[in-house]
Amino acid sequence: MTTQGNLRALLFFAALTLAVLAKAHVPALAAANWRIDPARTHIAFAIDSVGYPRTRGQFRQFQGRISIDFAHPDRSSVAFHVQSQSVDVGSQSFDDYLRSVAFLDSGRFPSIDFVSSSVVKVDDHTVRVTGDLTLLGVTRPLTVDVAVQREGSGQRLSFLAKTNIDRLAFGMNSGFPLVSRDVELVISSAAIEL
Amino acid sequence: MSVKPRPSRWNGWIIALHWAAGAVILGLIALGWIMVHGGLDSAATFDLYQRHKSWGFVALALTAGRLAARWLGASPPAPVSPRWERRLAALTQGSLYVLTVGAILSGWLLVSASPLPVPTRFFDLFVIPNIAPPRPSLFAAAVLGHEAAAWAIAALVALHAAGALKHHFVNGDDVLKRMLPRRRRSGPPA
Repeated sequence: MTTQGNLRALLFFAALTLAVLAKAHVPALAAANWRIDPARTHIAFAIDSVGYPRTRGQFRQFQGRISIDFAHPDRSSVAFHVQSQSVDVGSQSFDDYLRSVAFLDSGRFPSIDFVSSSVVKVDDHTVRVTGDLTLLGVTRPLTVDVAVQREGSGQRLSFLAKTNIDRLAFGMNSGFPLVSRDVELVISSAAIEL
Repeated sequence: MSVKPRPSRWNGWIIALHWAAGAVILGLIALGWIMVHGGLDSAATFDLYQRHKSWGFVALALTAGRLAARWLGASPPAPVSPRWERRLAALTQGSLYVLTVGAILSGWLLVSASPLPVPTRFFDLFVIPNIAPPRPSLFAAAVLGHEAAAWAIAALVALHAAGALKHHFVNGDDVLKRMLPRRRRSGPPA
């Protein structure tokens, strides 16, 4: 789930970056910084288990930084830092369990991080963000397509990224195969140009 | 053999423990069914599982208390009934003790041997230790045993209750009454 959170954060940044790049109607001066609107940002995940309902949740606390260069998309970047202890699946005792060493190990690994290494414009509404996702201290590359939507006068962008990560790749093995190795990440966000 | 005269009714401890254990066990069966088949979401299901585990240990304590009370306290004489009825009643009651202990221990075992062990926090007060290491084959066997014991308990409780009601309404004897709390006699009018 932490992985999902990281992925989401990563995706969010990537999407933001890509969106900005894709909407390169703005004169390309330099990479501009965007402020993420926390109220409109959701780093959500879902995971299936055998004989148990699908678990859906999100991470409530995170920090993000988005820098977008419409003229030179490759100079855009996204970084997301998600606090693993902020996991919320709708049950205090379930949250506590997910924070334990069985899953997020929040005591040892308080942060789930995504830092982009490249942003490529796919089409006018999509950017492909590649970067490193660090979960449980394990860093793995992650590439995510981010749908970008310009809102209002253009000073506002919304992002949507969906991807799956393999939690086993990060050493999050608890409950496998009862609990699926695939973690679905859905990251939605909005950002305002500073 | 027994020198002591047998009481005409069960003592207060046995009565209290009987009804408390009965309520907790029936509640556990209902809770168990809902948490598995109720179609609830993941968070609600998780919470119900934790509650089921805590109440399971309450049932264990009550059952241990019942066995101790039965061992220490004298029981009223068996009612005048056909021999097969008395045998069936004794078998039902004995099986209920065995199945209750079996259901609780298999539950503890499945929680312990689960490939995804979730700590058993007794009403969030303290952690109850596991009794086995995670092992899928043991887990699967314990799940089967737990489920079978639960269904068998439900069926035997129905038989046990039907027998008690038959004594009360058909035979008109005091078999049910002597397991009920003693009614306070209304005092003389002032």
